[in-house]
Amino acid sequence: MSKRPYTPANVPAPKRRLGVIVVDPLPVVRAGLGLLIDDRPDMEVLAEAGTALEGIEVIQRVRRTRVVVLVGLGLSGEGDAFWLIRTLRERFPSHAVLGMGANADPTAISRALFVGADGFVDKNIDPVEFLQALRKAANHEMVLATPSGVQVGQIAQGLDRRKEVEIKLTEREREVLIVAAEGLTAREIAARLGVRERTVTTHLARIYGKLGVGNRMAAIRAAARSGLVTVGTPE
Amino acid sequence: MDTPTIRVLVVDAHPVIRGVARLACEGSKDLELVAEAADAGEALNAVTALSPHVVILDLDLPDGGGRNVMVRLKEARYPGAVIALSDRSDGAAVLEALKLGVQSYLIKGTALRALADAVRRTAAGERLIDPDLEQGAVMELGRFARKAREGSETASMLTHREREILGHISEGLTMHQIGTRLGISPRTVETHVAKLYRKLGARTRVQAVARAATLGLIDLR
Repeated sequence: MSKRPYTPANVPAPKRRLGVIVVDPLPVVRAGLGLLIDDRPDMEVLAEAGTALEGIEVIQRVRRTRVVVLVGLGLSGEGDAFWLIRTLRERFPSHAVLGMGANADPTAISRALFVGADGFVDKNIDPVEFLQALRKAANHEMVLATPSGVQVGQIAQGLDRRKEVEIKLTEREREVLIVAAEGLTAREIAARLGVRERTVTTHLARIYGKLGVGNRMAAIRAAARSGLVTVGTPE
Repeated sequence: MDTPTIRVLVVDAHPVIRGVARLACEGSKDLELVAEAADAGEALNAVTALSPHVVILDLDLPDGGGRNVMVRLKEARYPGAVIALSDRSDGAAVLEALKLGVQSYLIKGTALRALADAVRRTAAGERLIDPDLEQGAVMELGRFARKAREGSETASMLTHREREILGHISEGLTMHQIGTRLGISPRTVETHVAKLYRKLGARTRVQAVARAATLGLIDLR
């Protein structure tokens, strides 16, 4: 009897398969991952969802311990990917959560890690590597699986910038900055937050001082560079 | 076909290591050792004057010279690649080096045998780092992310006043001095401090400062 060479595809199936939950807005991505994962003897897709809220719903119904949740960074609508990752970390801390993107930039990846992801996988990598990343995450190992080697340094720099912004600003100031980044006027920001316009301008002035910038555009740029807000799509 | 040689600078306090680099380059037609430097100052001068493609940099230079060189290279937007040499294989050291912008990270003992090859591959754009070292750095990154998050959550819990007082405590001011500085009574300061310690999970001034520093709320440097 010939011995089969060891490759990841020949990993013997443990008694319990690794459960995967896929939350991604693209049906083709969910379908593709479903085929790829279910084809393996040691893992299976437990559920899938196309929005963050649906994701929470399906995860609530899962009764499993070894679970990896893949959160596509392109999620939008009521609750984005970062909201979902943060919520999963708070409500289902035993699940491993991986941010998933396509050529995501280091700032988006650092943002995912900051809000509590256990790692990040890029859709642009070899499928075998992708599956290995899932296994690692299920073993509670930190995972960074990106195409051209890991950009650990840049991701760490992104985290540095985020930490600085978070710590320098008060919670209220962060709120104001996040809303300001949508491009609203001071009056509109005040209306959104339910405060007086005067309050908003005071907050903005303090924000500029703390971030060492001179105007709103520069403040928004600093917010974007730190990952506090995402301008454009994170994917 | 005439391929241009790769210009190399080696920066190391130890003459033996510089010697190894010299031999590696002398033995290879495509590598040219343009200079040797023994400290940060010499290194930066050599980079400015000679524009090497690759810098072999000992991160363990005395007085934080290794870090210094990387920071200055980044400021000057140095376009070449840096190969870091180090004794340290822990995740924190590797992550720190990657943050500073090194392209390849090699451990001194093992690296020196294949230095010429490492230079060539790094110059060609490859990032050379042992997978285990890289995983160590990734794990450290995870810890760093968690600390950053916890730091920001704790910072959110502190009021403006409490943060002010925290700053003064870390500077070593007494309750009385803080009160004078902020224009409030020492009694009020004590009340704030009690709340502050509770939020930080500290029982003493030293614990409070240490915890705040760990979370990044204050900078002790």
